[in-house]
Amino acid sequence: MSVILSIPVLSFITVLQSAVVSRLPLNRGTADLMLVVIVAITLQKSVKTAWQWSIVGGLLTDFFSGLPFGLFTTSYLITTGIAFLLRERIWRFSFLMQLLVVLSGTIIIHGLSMLVLILQVGSLQLITVLQAVTLPSIILNFMLSLPVFIIIQDIIQQLNPPE
Amino acid sequence: MNIRFPKSFRIVALSLVAIGILALALSGVFTSLSRLVVSPLTSLQTWVSQQYQGVEIFVSASQDIREIRQQYTELEAENARMQAQIVELQQQLVEYEILSALLEFARANPEHKYIGASVIGRDPSPFLNYIIINRGSDDGLKRGMPVVTQNGLAGRVVQVTAAGARVSLITDPVTRINVRIEPSRSAAVLAGSITGDITLEQIPQEADVNPGNLILTSGLGGNYPANIIIGQVTSVKSRENDLFQSASVQSVTDFDDLNIVLVIINFNPIDISPLLPNAETP
Repeated sequence: MSVILSIPVLSFITVLQSAVVSRLPLNRGTADLMLVVIVAITLQKSVKTAWQWSIVGGLLTDFFSGLPFGLFTTSYLITTGIAFLLRERIWRFSFLMQLLVVLSGTIIIHGLSMLVLILQVGSLQLITVLQAVTLPSIILNFMLSLPVFIIIQDIIQQLNPPE
Repeated sequence: MNIRFPKSFRIVALSLVAIGILALALSGVFTSLSRLVVSPLTSLQTWVSQQYQGVEIFVSASQDIREIRQQYTELEAENARMQAQIVELQQQLVEYEILSALLEFARANPEHKYIGASVIGRDPSPFLNYIIINRGSDDGLKRGMPVVTQNGLAGRVVQVTAAGARVSLITDPVTRINVRIEPSRSAAVLAGSITGDITLEQIPQEADVNPGNLILTSGLGGNYPANIIIGQVTSVKSRENDLFQSASVQSVTDFDDLNIVLVIINFNPIDISPLLPNAETP
C-alpha cells in the first residue's frame, strides 16, 4: 500500500482515537485504535510498506499525546517487528496472530508509559495500574481487533487482489 | 284465399293489443311471469356488477395504495428530519445551559478575563489525563494559563499550537497544586493519579482537617491564581508516626463529562526558579 496514503488514513485514525475512542474508557483503560490498525496492516502478506505506516502512525500519535515524543513511534516499531517475525513463521491463524501482536504491543506501550511516569512522579502502584488501566485496555484492544482486522484485510484484498 | 287487412286496421289492432297488455300488467296479471323472466336477469346483472366492482376496487385500490405509500414515505422522511432537528435542539440546549453556567461563573469572578473553549479530544494514552481544546495561540492562549469550569478548577494549559491547546487536568498523575484548606486555612499539596483520584499530601499534623472541608488554590508557587475552588475533603488519613496527614478529595468538576471550559487569559504564571536556591549558592 502506498506510503502517501498512510498520511490521510492514519491522520483520520488519530483524530478518531482522540475524539472518540479515548472518551470511551473501560475503568481507566482505553483502546489504542492506531496500534490495532498498524498490526492489522502489518500482518497482511501483500503489504510491503508496514514499517513506513508504523512510523507515520507513531509520529501522529506522539504529536497528539503528552507522553515524551517518540514513545509511541518506538513502541509501534517494536510491535511491527514482532508482527513481521510472527508473519514469517506462522502464516496460518492470522486472527490469532493479530490478538497476540496487539497484546504484545499493548504491554510494550504501557510498560514504557509506566517507566516514564515512574521517572516523573516516583513510585506507582503497579497492581492498581494493571487492574485499572492495562487489563481494560487489553480487553478493549481485543474487542477492536476482529472488526479492524476484517476491514483491513478486505480493503487490502480489493487493492491488491491475489493473482 | 288471402285476407288482406288494410294498414289502418292493423295499426288499430296492434294498439288495442298493446293497451290490453298494459292494462293486464297494471292489474298484476303478469307479475309472476315477470318474476320468472326478470329474476335470472337480475341475478346475472348482480354477478356482472359485482365482478365489475371488484375490478374497479382492485384498480383504484392499487392507485390508492401507491398514493398512501408515497404519503407514508414522505411522512417518514419528515419525521426523520424532525427527529434530527429535535436532537440538534437538545444538543444546543445542553450547550446553552453549560454556557449560561460558565457566564454566571465569569460574572461571579470578574477579576479574571476568560475565553471559552470546547473540548475536542483526549490524550491517546490512558496514563495521562489531558484534554485537547479548540483554542490556541491565535486566540491569545499561552502555556501555563489556568483552565476552569463553572464549578471550579479543571487544569492548566501545557502546550499550545495555532488553533488548539493541550490542557493537563488536575487529575493527571504529574499534577501538583499548592492549595489551602478551609476553614482551617492549612496549606497542602494536591496530587493527581493514574486512576483519576485526587489526594491532598503534606498536610501538617497539627492541621485541623475534616471531611467536608473546602479546598481552594492558595496561589503559592505562582502557577494558579488564588481562591479558585477545587473540591471537598472526603476522608482524612492521619497517623501519629507520620510526618504529614493525607486526605482524599472529591473534585467539584466532573472530568468524565467535560465539554466546554474557560481559559483564564489575564493570568501569567510567575517563574520563581530564579528565586530558588541552587547547589552553587552558599
